[in-house]
Amino acid sequence: MLPISAERLIPHRAPMRLVDTLVSVTDGCAVAESVLPRSAMMADGEGKIDEVACMELIAQSYAAFRGYMDRMNGKPPGEGFLVGVRNLEITGTAYAGDRLLTSIRTVAAVGGFAVVEGAVTRGDETLATGTLTLWLVDPDAGGG
Amino acid sequence: MSALREGIDASKLGDLAGTGTETGARRYRFGPGFIGFSGHFPGNPILPAIVQIRAVVSLAEAESGKTLRLAAVRSAKFLTPIRPDEDVWIRYRRRVDSGMDICDATLSVAEKTVAAFQLELAEGETPR
Repeated sequence: MLPISAERLIPHRAPMRLVDTLVSVTDGCAVAESVLPRSAMMADGEGKIDEVACMELIAQSYAAFRGYMDRMNGKPPGEGFLVGVRNLEITGTAYAGDRLLTSIRTVAAVGGFAVVEGAVTRGDETLATGTLTLWLVDPDAGGG
Repeated sequence: MSALREGIDASKLGDLAGTGTETGARRYRFGPGFIGFSGHFPGNPILPAIVQIRAVVSLAEAESGKTLRLAAVRSAKFLTPIRPDEDVWIRYRRRVDSGMDICDATLSVAEKTVAAFQLELAEGETPR
């Protein structure tokens, strides 16, 4: 089934969907690919991508991983929300047209929360690393 | 300037309020047409976390008059979703910690803290 379009896995839509393709999944880890166009909302006139985008790339890559796992388990992709960030270091600049790979690793998944380590790379260069906490909505929970 | 930053700037209300050279506060209202709500999420608009952080950096830039970049997010907590048309107060205080330029910021809606960050800022552009 891989690679698979991220649009089939996550609720984000253009222009906020930054991840294009879920490339690989192994044992709680995943890699997603992004190529942001010149017209991306986070690109300036020179094609430079705002550094905050790295945080969203990690979050959406995890969302794509979760969406994929839900599909593999016969469930519709669930919802999740970013609730925390720790030690996100931004060391490089991404540009429109760059092939960005975002790697995520699930550090912990407890009580509806997931702690995820992520890294955004361009070729051999690491652009950002950090740890995110996401809250995963239980679709079977009551209430509205 | 990116469309995102333009949209954030267009969402400012009132003047920058500062009590000194290292603090600032400003009110924002992100309307339903704000670009950051587009696709996040269809039928359930929530202000993206990256918009919240970007707004803090832009506010610090406006107060300092210098180009600033986000070097790191030491910590961030997103406590409550921010919806369209809510009045959002962004307040920050900058300080130096071990030679690093630290920006402590909070976002609040109806006097309730909805997000809190500790950011590391640097002057100039991120290295290519």
